[in-house]
Amino acid sequence: MTAMPDVLPEIDTATTNEKPWRLIVWNDPVNLMNYVSYVFRSYFGFSKEKAEQLMLQVHHDGFCTVRSGSREAIESDVQAMHGYGLNATMTQGA
Amino acid sequence: MAKAFKYGAHGISGTLHSPERKILRELFNDVIVMLEERAEVHQLPEDIDPLYALTGMRPESMDLPEVSDPALARLLPDASDDAVVAAEHRRLTESDLITQKIGALREAAFLMENDKIVLQKPSAQRFAQALNDVRLVLSERLEIRNEDDAARVAEVLDAAEVQTPDEYLALVYNLVSWIQDTLMSALMDAEL
Repeated sequence: MTAMPDVLPEIDTATTNEKPWRLIVWNDPVNLMNYVSYVFRSYFGFSKEKAEQLMLQVHHDGFCTVRSGSREAIESDVQAMHGYGLNATMTQGA
Repeated sequence: MAKAFKYGAHGISGTLHSPERKILRELFNDVIVMLEERAEVHQLPEDIDPLYALTGMRPESMDLPEVSDPALARLLPDASDDAVVAAEHRRLTESDLITQKIGALREAAFLMENDKIVLQKPSAQRFAQALNDVRLVLSERLEIRNEDDAARVAEVLDAAEVQTPDEYLALVYNLVSWIQDTLMSALMDAEL
């Protein structure tokens, strides 16, 4: 057995308990409703019902939080949404 | 006149006639040129650390300039309201995004060689993406900012009544929208 040294650096709780990031998709008058719905279905693997519900939320409320997760995951979601031409942003916390 | 895209035994197929294909090919190429011009600002200086040159990564100290053309900004929007997060995201991902968009647009332009277009699911998705990028650029030129603007543009349907360049642009926008709409219906049918 080896004794652990007392000088281990303290774990930075700010990075381990980081608040999740949210992916927000914004409404715009250009993207077709069936296109947005299809993107939600094919990219996120959502059911037809869930994809349509989220699409309608974007349409009526002006935006919708599609999902939340680690910064890396949401960053790549934003990039994918921009690839499809959807207006998406990322934000941390509530 | 174009024939709507439909899902069938051989995949997703539709027909576009020569004048429509000519217009679309020009639009795809116009958007490619816009994106290629933006790609030029990504060039790293020649005296940079070879590691950056090798990986294509951009050093933290070299944020990209803002996108000044509003039509280009529709294609390459900010990733966050937070300017620091948006700048970092742009620095790390914009180059890949441009490459991906140009790829889909080139493929779409190439599809305009023949009347009859037959696509499988992945190629149909990329075609839809290219059509969408063209619509985003046209929408900026047509100043479509809200649903009322969209409704105003949607009224322009009769080529015989078109008199101004803006009306012509609206007609083209509606053609591209119609093609994308039928393509999405066919893609939805392919999911069932």
